[in-house]
Amino acid sequence: MTFDAYWAAVDDELAAIPGRPVLDVVPARTTDEATFYTVRTTSTGPYRVYGNLSIPKGDGPFPGLLITPRYGSVNNIPHPNDRSRYVVLGLMHRGQRLADEGFAAAYPGLLTMGIDDPSTYIYRGIAADCLRAAEFLMGLAEVDPARVAVTGDDLAVLTAARRPGFSTVRVTDLLFYRAMEARLKSCMYPLEELNDHLRGGSSTSALSTTLSYFDPSQHAPAVAGRTLLAVDDADWCGSLLSALPDPEVYQVTHLDGTDNDFLDAWLAQRFGVPAMSKFVA
Amino acid sequence: MRDPENATVEVELPTDFDDFWAAGLADCASYPLDPVLTEMPTLSTDNVIVYDLRFTSYGGLRIAGWYAVPRAGNAPYPGLVTIPGYISEPTIPKEWAELGYAALAIAPRGKLRSNDVFNPGYPGLLTHNIVDPNTYGYRGFYLDVVRAVEVLLDRPDVDNLRIGLQGSSQGGGLGISTAALLPDVIRCVAAGAPYLCGIMTAPTLTRSYPYEEINEYLRIHPKDVDRVRETVAYYDGLNFAPKVQAPTLIYLGLEDDVCPPETGFALHRTLTCEKTLHTYPHCAHHAGLPDVMRVVEDFLAEHLTPGR
Repeated sequence: MTFDAYWAAVDDELAAIPGRPVLDVVPARTTDEATFYTVRTTSTGPYRVYGNLSIPKGDGPFPGLLITPRYGSVNNIPHPNDRSRYVVLGLMHRGQRLADEGFAAAYPGLLTMGIDDPSTYIYRGIAADCLRAAEFLMGLAEVDPARVAVTGDDLAVLTAARRPGFSTVRVTDLLFYRAMEARLKSCMYPLEELNDHLRGGSSTSALSTTLSYFDPSQHAPAVAGRTLLAVDDADWCGSLLSALPDPEVYQVTHLDGTDNDFLDAWLAQRFGVPAMSKFVA
Repeated sequence: MRDPENATVEVELPTDFDDFWAAGLADCASYPLDPVLTEMPTLSTDNVIVYDLRFTSYGGLRIAGWYAVPRAGNAPYPGLVTIPGYISEPTIPKEWAELGYAALAIAPRGKLRSNDVFNPGYPGLLTHNIVDPNTYGYRGFYLDVVRAVEVLLDRPDVDNLRIGLQGSSQGGGLGISTAALLPDVIRCVAAGAPYLCGIMTAPTLTRSYPYEEINEYLRIHPKDVDRVRETVAYYDGLNFAPKVQAPTLIYLGLEDDVCPPETGFALHRTLTCEKTLHTYPHCAHHAGLPDVMRVVEDFLAEHLTPGR
């Protein structure tokens, strides 16, 4: 199946399934600055996924921020700093905590679940979860459609590529990019899962084929927004950068206080809101 | 302007602190450890053998871990328990086995593979039954790490005189508590960005999770503040610290929004053992990563002598 056909099928499946979102206020996380909700909505499968949503108090519309899920069973709740400035939605994809009714993802294990066939790969559904979250966020009346960002790893690139409307993309980590090469660099997880899977008898060609649908450099040409890529090795990321229409590079310093502040300020400046450090000096 | 190094962080020591933890250890001892190791061929490599580990801990719960040992080396190996962070799942510690350790990555209760019975969720663990020290969610969680050390003590391929602890954030905090509860066993502790130290002070210094969970709890239950303070005192690393006898490495990010550096400095001050402090300006919760890992490896190698 071609790349375009694969993803068109995902879009078609998603379009046929109403999200039927349910929002519940969380008083403990609601403050003078913002109202906090849990969100449950339906993605492909059908499967109910979970999100943490916060909407600033006051007169909107506000900039929107989608946080795609990290690789792991738990995602942090959106930080109060973000909750005060953005309509922010943090997604828990299928199998992660709070979205694990019926399917609890294994770590290690999720990265290779169903990977021998692109049509059964778990990340096909996880990508759909991210796209559903994007549709939900952009449908909120409180969100300024001219100021919507997505932040995260490769899933942020994929989401921005497949859903118009993201003017800003902030990529802080990479999982699928050149994964079949990166897996050879060390025995560190999560990429070591690919090596574990191959030891179980799978073929490198099968994994390469499936992963090619998820490599962000394949999605990058369709990303319309300005994209900040925080990188450790710009040379390694060359093919991704060259595929992005409007890239910007941030060379991480590994002084994560400095890096965190830069990444926050970059997005804030794009959307005309104050920069805020998580570390209160 | 904050002055983390000189800030005052105080925690009251419960009068029955030692008895409280002795009772917990006694409960653990009432259950056979019953470790079961299952070799995992596809997870193993040319250099490392990996096992799925299950054992019995506090309250009779079965707890999981990953155990990784060198495939070819001179057993007995030094033992190393790696302790996960708050939102992290333990990864298979192949990299430590590659360095010559018998490495056990513990999944304390509530973590995946150890959450059939106890599953407070994330967020949730920090405030699970936080008004009652006897049923606080962290009680079994702390003791699960102690039991993981006992698994190593039970292993013929581990040198009982060379057992260390390593972790960052929650893993750092529980390294301190475990070393305090097993002072005659633990030979060294590497604790990065230690969490669960100055537990009632930290939420006043940050709005980042997980400490923000306490602010949220008290937003809804403001009258519980004294009971919360009473409970967490039993679990505070500052109350465990004076009991640690093993050489301890502490490393801190001076702009850590997750575990405020004030609490890490307080921990360092409170330790009376041989101790080393590394601080990293402009660093947050990574506390010097990735470069600090070389410091950690050297520290552990100095005290545990892998490859001996």
